[in-house]
Amino acid sequence: MENTSSDIRQLNEKIHQASAFVDLLSMELGKVIVGQKYMVERLLIGLLAQGHVLLEGVPGLAKTLSIKSLSSAINAKFSRIQFTPDLLPADVVGTMIYNQQKNEFVVRRGPIFANFILADEINRAPAKVQSALLEAMQERQITIGDSTFKLDDPFLVLATQNPIEQEGTYTLPEAQVDRFMLKVVIGYPTREEERHIIRQNLNPEASSPIRPIIQPSDIIEARKLVREVYMDEKIEKYIIDIVFATRNPEEYKLQKLKPLISYGGSPRASINLALAAKAYAFMKRRGYVIPEDVRSICFDVMRHRVGLTYEAEAENVTSENILSEILNAVEVP
Amino acid sequence: MYKQQVIRRIFLCFFIVLLLPISLLAQQKIEAVAGADTTSIRIGEQVKVQLRATIPAAQFNKPAFRILFPVLSDSLEHFEVIARSAVDTTTQQDLKILRQTFTVTSFDSGHWEFPPMKVEVYGATDASSFDTLTTYPLGIDVNTVAVDTTKAFKPIKTVQTVPWNIWDYWMYIAGGAAVVLLALGLWLYFRKRPKKVPEVKLPLVTPYDLARQQLKALKEEKLWQQGDIKQYYTRLTDILRAYFEHQFGIAALEQTSEELLQNIKPVTKLNQQRDKLRALLAIADLAKFAKLQPTADEHEDCMQKAEEILEWTRPKEEPANASANEKPAV
Repeated sequence: MENTSSDIRQLNEKIHQASAFVDLLSMELGKVIVGQKYMVERLLIGLLAQGHVLLEGVPGLAKTLSIKSLSSAINAKFSRIQFTPDLLPADVVGTMIYNQQKNEFVVRRGPIFANFILADEINRAPAKVQSALLEAMQERQITIGDSTFKLDDPFLVLATQNPIEQEGTYTLPEAQVDRFMLKVVIGYPTREEERHIIRQNLNPEASSPIRPIIQPSDIIEARKLVREVYMDEKIEKYIIDIVFATRNPEEYKLQKLKPLISYGGSPRASINLALAAKAYAFMKRRGYVIPEDVRSICFDVMRHRVGLTYEAEAENVTSENILSEILNAVEVP
Repeated sequence: MYKQQVIRRIFLCFFIVLLLPISLLAQQKIEAVAGADTTSIRIGEQVKVQLRATIPAAQFNKPAFRILFPVLSDSLEHFEVIARSAVDTTTQQDLKILRQTFTVTSFDSGHWEFPPMKVEVYGATDASSFDTLTTYPLGIDVNTVAVDTTKAFKPIKTVQTVPWNIWDYWMYIAGGAAVVLLALGLWLYFRKRPKKVPEVKLPLVTPYDLARQQLKALKEEKLWQQGDIKQYYTRLTDILRAYFEHQFGIAALEQTSEELLQNIKPVTKLNQQRDKLRALLAIADLAKFAKLQPTADEHEDCMQKAEEILEWTRPKEEPANASANEKPAV
């Protein structure tokens, strides 16, 4: 159905009211998380756009604290799975256990049965465990024995990867990485933020605990609204141009990128870019998407979806470099 | 009578049969013969000694057959070998004749014998056979120059001038002539070459003029009056972005509104119009991406803002252009 001007105005007002919780949530999280606004914002985008987040950063950057605080603020269940080489799929999804008293097998649910999952160092576990988790992420349901269980909603997986220790790891295949809506690369806090972190940790009593701001049901409602955010066909074309530029850079006068890209973004990239842009617009309390929204989340949606050739790796060209070139070449509507 | 004729014929046949193998044998014989073109030379004169070997052609079909001519050293007793020709082969009926010529001289006066030469033949009868054919020695008289001792000694002749001949210098003359012709050709070429017509420089449309023209065209198209508001604002912002790109080198077409407002900061003149630009872009973004229907006043206002930005940032005219535009003083 075609949106009219008045529809969009109403939607804009509706979203303006409904998205008020985003600022409250950010403020609440800010009580315990110093800095890392970028990461928190991306977590919320993942939450609102119903996509999972792959986080890359060195240890100690408040990844666990962020997702734990987020689950507390939403009054949701949180669980953390430390991926190790000896982890089994059953350790993640659960298994059947024999109950001697009842003389029957009962299902013991794994840690995946929560709203927020922190899959720490996902690349340390073998492929079968990764697959079990990624399948659950995609299907949002688990089958143990003969029983199938729907996972709780909202369901957000935050997987982490350590970029510096690659020995003895099982790198996620491209097809699996593609299932993450966002791949967020986080860096160290600033000097000022680091000072706040020290003070906060030396005096933990001073910081107040996280209070539940909203309920999981509010997130589900917000998700519906996110999908309603108006996206003009000009924005759709812009998204398609960006994704196509990763596939056929020569069509956008970027011949020099052709030998550096082994494969471009999949249609899933376009879908996720559109969804994330809508979620970003929602967070900015707008009922419509503007090119800024697309550009803001473009790197996080696309960086793990652009394959690099050996030539690019030899020349230390990153997917971020390629995306920058593309964004600087594709005309903004 | 008849009986005598019969006997004569029998004898004739007998002779023919008797002589046949002899002639065949003669044909199969390998010979080596040496000969000189003269037997008497003056001291230092040259004599050609030819060594000739005659071999039945059939011998060459034998796999092991090989014939080796002698290798003469440069100095023989009383003779000097000056040159050796290659072995030349000719065919004559069933024979092959191999020839090699040696140019020989001598500086010793007297009668000397050119030594016999040996030709080695391998595999003539069977694979392991070896024969040596030796030529006869050649007697050559080497005579001194006869001096008339009765006449007086003559003085040594002075250096004589070689008579001048034009053909001794033809290469230099031809080279010189070529250089003169080349120089003449080049001179003619450069003299007759059409002179470069100075390019007529068409007046370039400046980004400012282009933007003005486009804004004027946009006004005349009356897009918002026809309800095509989205297209109106798309065109309006595109004109401004293209102007910023060409005039100030800001990649405005590839930047979002926020980025553009950030990136105009270094351009002071443009940055002074930041608020106007922000207001214009905000309305344009709403019209383009949120289906906002601004009022007629807002449309006019946006166009006015665009024109004001253009006027404010209008580059000063070049002095050359300015003087060209001025009317000549009477």
